[in-house]
Amino acid sequence: MDTLNLILDSAERIFADHCNKETLDASEAGTFATALWQVLADNGLTLLGLSESGTTAADAYRVLRLAATHALPVPLGECVLARQLLEGAGSVEGLDGVGTLGRAAAGQGMARDVPWARDCDWILIAPLEDRSDGDSQTLTLLTAQECTVQHGINLAGEARDVVVFEAGAGRTVQCSTSPTEILEQLALLRVVQMAGCLARTLELSIEYAQDRVQFGRPISKFQAIQHQLAVLAGEVAAATRAADGALERLGDPRFQVQLAVAKARVGEAAGVAAEIAHQVHGAMGFTHEHQLHHYTRRLWAWRDEFGNEAHWQRQLGRRLAAVGADQVWDFITRH
Amino acid sequence: MFEGLNFDAVTLPDQAEALRDEVRAFLADAMPVDCVADSNFNEGHDPEFSRALGARGWIGMTWPKRVGGAERSFFERYVVTEELLAAGAPVCAHWIGDRQSGPLLLRYGTEAQQQRFLPALTRGECFFSIGMSEPDAGSDLASVRARAKPVAGGWRLSGTKLWTTDAHRNHYMIALVRTEPTSENRHAGLSQLIIDLKDADVAVRPIRNMAGGEDFNEVVFNDCFIADDMLVGQPGNGWEQVTSELGYERSGPERFLSAFRVYVELVRVHGPEPDAPAAQLIGRLASHLMTLRQMSISVAGMLQAGKNPGVEAALVKELGNNFEKQLPELARLCVAQLADDHPFRQSFIRTLLHSPSFTLRGGTREILRGVIARGLGLR
Repeated sequence: MDTLNLILDSAERIFADHCNKETLDASEAGTFATALWQVLADNGLTLLGLSESGTTAADAYRVLRLAATHALPVPLGECVLARQLLEGAGSVEGLDGVGTLGRAAAGQGMARDVPWARDCDWILIAPLEDRSDGDSQTLTLLTAQECTVQHGINLAGEARDVVVFEAGAGRTVQCSTSPTEILEQLALLRVVQMAGCLARTLELSIEYAQDRVQFGRPISKFQAIQHQLAVLAGEVAAATRAADGALERLGDPRFQVQLAVAKARVGEAAGVAAEIAHQVHGAMGFTHEHQLHHYTRRLWAWRDEFGNEAHWQRQLGRRLAAVGADQVWDFITRH
Repeated sequence: MFEGLNFDAVTLPDQAEALRDEVRAFLADAMPVDCVADSNFNEGHDPEFSRALGARGWIGMTWPKRVGGAERSFFERYVVTEELLAAGAPVCAHWIGDRQSGPLLLRYGTEAQQQRFLPALTRGECFFSIGMSEPDAGSDLASVRARAKPVAGGWRLSGTKLWTTDAHRNHYMIALVRTEPTSENRHAGLSQLIIDLKDADVAVRPIRNMAGGEDFNEVVFNDCFIADDMLVGQPGNGWEQVTSELGYERSGPERFLSAFRVYVELVRVHGPEPDAPAAQLIGRLASHLMTLRQMSISVAGMLQAGKNPGVEAALVKELGNNFEKQLPELARLCVAQLADDHPFRQSFIRTLLHSPSFTLRGGTREILRGVIARGLGLR
């Protein structure tokens, strides 16, 4: 077994042991999953993708996909991406505690939709837009004391806070990663998280259909249900391939196109999958008590974050139109 | 994850990519001038074009050299087939022999059968049809009633095959027939026979389809004599034999590229700077197509590794057929009213009129969903 599989194996045990329905409910009620975070940190999972961890950025995304199969209610992905950005900028001094990543327009002193900022010891603020002069970018590293946080949530009940800070607050770090590249990393994070959530949604739907008995037999024996689950499986398989396609092209010139393909395709699968999963689960899946909504609401939230399907479809469509009708096939085969 | 849902990363090897340029150069010369570009593999029966492909070594290209094959990889075959379809080349004549009949004979045929048929297939001189459906056996294939009774030196065959594409212009059909009476095991007692479509006791009647074409046929066997050496594989083993090839049959690019020429015309209509709704649709369709392509290439990798990816192939076909049906439906809403002789409309109308067949041929949507459900452990 290679290193990545060993990490995935132990990560799976950690996620399964330390994140359950109670953790998710408590998080939505406002209690940060401190114990879970501590276990993640103790096991080095907050350092994924850093050189000291012996894992690549692609490995990190694969672990983050697995984390999403348990809907971990912590900013693990954002923390990992923030640390990778800092490492890339040559600023590696140890950061302790819970960290997250936000984006702010230059000079505005405000970042919106920052995951779990309220519970963080540090927050890395990246620029929202590319600089017109093409110069290097400035990251701002804030401690909790250096900003104020207004609480907000997304439709999945995940903390999405507004972080306000004064000009000159925090420590600035020059970085060569462009805002567009940072947006792409964040979009890829949601792509892999949706892929993880989709796999879990299929698994839950199959289990439920096999357990639930109506008309004297498990509903999984009805052709109508089988066909719905087959459609769901197709969407999950396509989304998984699209997400993997983006991961495989990370750091390669084809990445931007494949990311657009993935965010568009996986986002589309998210909507179809959530709809079918709820239909198969019946009224039970509509209750707060059932765990399904922790996954389906994340699918609904994540498909809109960092560009919805329409945004990435347009971006991809403009590239294809630009190469022209007689070259679209060549474009497709070269990506 | 579940068995059959994993489409591992496969990158086409450089050799296969190099072949792509060769195919394009060939097509630039060899596309018949009067040919309407159509990506539907069932359209365009052109023996001359098939012979030109054969001369290039692009039919039966994965087969052993001893039967005329080129011993190339499934990836190389993948590239050739997708390039031909994307260009809308007339591939129908040799398609079934190359995809299905040839591999079947390689796996189950005798040395004599292989030597008799395969070299001619690879030259594009011998064309095969598939004889599965019957008037009373469609999705329920095991209920076939065409009956071959053993006689001295062979079989006497009676019955009817239906929807046999190109039986009126191809040379042979491999038919699934009943050679033993029906028993409790419905899949037992079926065999595959090679039938000479020019035999005097075989009556072929073209059936006009709703698009106005006469591609498929009714084929009636009037107590037709089939020599022993035309039996493929073991008598009674027909069911296993027909189902063993589904990975080849269902996973290829012909399962999602049928409407591709409509896409090309959609892009052309909108030019280099499409408005937002057009850009969105062009991108949306590309996100599906590029994902399907990766899935199909992944299955080519499984075939190359000697696996039989039945569920994965069913998934590619299910998703791919839905995509190729949706493509013209979405495209039409994104194009202003145009005369029917406009290239977009021409391509759109042709494809739409053939689109009902996309989710029927090679296993209906309903059958495929059943196969996928079985893969999920539901059946």
